[in-house]
Amino acid sequence: MSKGLLTTTVGSFPKPDYLAQARNQFSLGKIDRQELAALERQATAEVIGLQEEIGLDILVDGEMERGDMVAYFAELLSESMAIGGLVRSYGNRYYRKPIIIGKLHWQGPMTVEMWRYAQGLTTKPVKGMLTGPYTMVDWSFDEHYESRREAVLDMARVVHQEAVELEKAGARYIQVDEPAASSRPEEMELVAQGLAVVTEGLKAKTITHMCYGDFASVFDQIARLPVDQLDIETANSDYDLLEMFRHHRFDKEVALGVVDVHDHRVETVEEVKEGIRRGLEVLPPERLYIDPDCGLKTRTWEEAAAKLRVMVQAVREVRRELGIEG
Amino acid sequence: MLTTVVGSYPKIPNRPRPARLRGAIARFERGAIGEDELRRVEDEVTIEVIQEQVEAGIDIVSDGQIRWEDDQTYFARRMDGFTIDGLIRYFDTNTYYRQPVVTGAVRWQQPIAAEDYRFAAAHSPRPVKALVTGPYTLAALSANEHYGSFGDLVLALAQELRQEVLALEKAGASIIQVNEPAILKQKEDFPLFSQALERMMEGVAAEAHLYTWFGDIEGLFPHIMELPFSAIGLDFVMGPANYEIIRRAPFAKKLGLGIVDARNTRLETVEQIVECIRRVSDVVPPESIYVNPSCGLEYLPREAAQAKLACMVAGVQGAQEVLG
Repeated sequence: MSKGLLTTTVGSFPKPDYLAQARNQFSLGKIDRQELAALERQATAEVIGLQEEIGLDILVDGEMERGDMVAYFAELLSESMAIGGLVRSYGNRYYRKPIIIGKLHWQGPMTVEMWRYAQGLTTKPVKGMLTGPYTMVDWSFDEHYESRREAVLDMARVVHQEAVELEKAGARYIQVDEPAASSRPEEMELVAQGLAVVTEGLKAKTITHMCYGDFASVFDQIARLPVDQLDIETANSDYDLLEMFRHHRFDKEVALGVVDVHDHRVETVEEVKEGIRRGLEVLPPERLYIDPDCGLKTRTWEEAAAKLRVMVQAVREVRRELGIEG
Repeated sequence: MLTTVVGSYPKIPNRPRPARLRGAIARFERGAIGEDELRRVEDEVTIEVIQEQVEAGIDIVSDGQIRWEDDQTYFARRMDGFTIDGLIRYFDTNTYYRQPVVTGAVRWQQPIAAEDYRFAAAHSPRPVKALVTGPYTLAALSANEHYGSFGDLVLALAQELRQEVLALEKAGASIIQVNEPAILKQKEDFPLFSQALERMMEGVAAEAHLYTWFGDIEGLFPHIMELPFSAIGLDFVMGPANYEIIRRAPFAKKLGLGIVDARNTRLETVEQIVECIRRVSDVVPPESIYVNPSCGLEYLPREAAQAKLACMVAGVQGAQEVLG
């Protein structure tokens, strides 16, 4: 591997059409769990193959078996969570919002099997991907706990156990996504407490992904989050978050989002190189990872592949300029 | 003591009941049905959600904002000066709206909600509140690419939305509610906020209500009492400090008492609701209280929303017995 500017992705990949159709068939009872699982594995192998072909350094399994990042775990935590009725997300889109109905506890591995399958297909490291406790709680109804804090800390113990299982299976990178954290900066301390429980004692490199938010007022807390790497959305906000690193002490690694996942347009290599250079103004290459802004699941397979190819090409050119090719 | 809602109501029920509006919008979007057919389904669903509110025992209902994609674009799409951009998170919820972008002079062209009000009022056995997104919140949740300052945009919107308020009044609305959650996030803007609402509501004879949610009015009380509204709606779930804040000076208006959590499915007990009402009953006399959920009900599944309203009504009945 190169000595800097390692490339990765945030987690999700677009589901191939055959898998999207199969998920639909499964929900209508027309195919069984086994048939769906076989297609999930087929799609996972394609996601791994695509990442290898493009030349990414740290891979993901693409989350082919997951729909919603909260509901996936909520369904497996069946003794303490239920899947509620439909709530509108925007426009004509609805999702089933989970409900916490009892004391949260880990019931068994939720992500290990798919991680192990994906890792078995490649010699490159595959990240273990978990939804963070704050986001799990914030994006669910809660009919059990008296306070958000209690719910987040119990959920953190659940996520911690899952992280331990991933580590036992051999995961060297474990990412704990907290997209909900950016919507309520005043609760960053609670986010941090949850992550501290999750990452306690882990030897794997820990990462958290957050969506764009008003982080200026809580930057000190973000700088102290108990993870090794902070993965942030920057391309779709003209890299303004980088200003924070200019003015504050920050010794973690950063994964810098350099392609906008909400835009169909594929960036040019030059644009992405410019983004990487802006990252390099505030962080050394060995602490700077390069990835898309967010999960790729909302893009088509072709758009996702095109964006990643441009990203890897841009990284190669910048590495060459810096003399740090692998 | 009357019961009411803040505005929105879940657009679709859960199985086995059919999600008619969801299906109709999907068919409309792929060109399988026309606007008339979509409108007909919206009419049916509006009647259905009014009936659900009435069945739950709500005294003053809303049309459920069934035709509204969200609070912002419902107005922005129908006024000059806006384009509609990408999805953006609505405050701290996991709900998104398309951000309006102000690219030219904002201008009200024709009534936006007046016809919806007429329809709802004609199909409701109970009084219907008319709802308007306030100029401050519409400006705060939009991107301004035209006006020299945010204040200029707010005041221009107040001038234009005034036409909508007058149109609603002309349509017969006896209660017009102006929604301004965004002021709770930028309280230092109160002078601008006040100027805008004075301009918007000048000479309006209908009963005007000002509703806020997702926070408390620390820093806005008591001067919020000087605004030209006869009722102020407050969120006591996400703004529990409101209980204490409103004790600091006489509360010389009616109070919209948002005490049922419209963002969580856990049902409040009658005792909890009675206690919430008791906590304000020495500050605001019961006849000046409207009891309502903490915000619009669209953050809940349909069945949970109706259950919340039924609970709320039972709680109010309990409070009336206790408080006499």
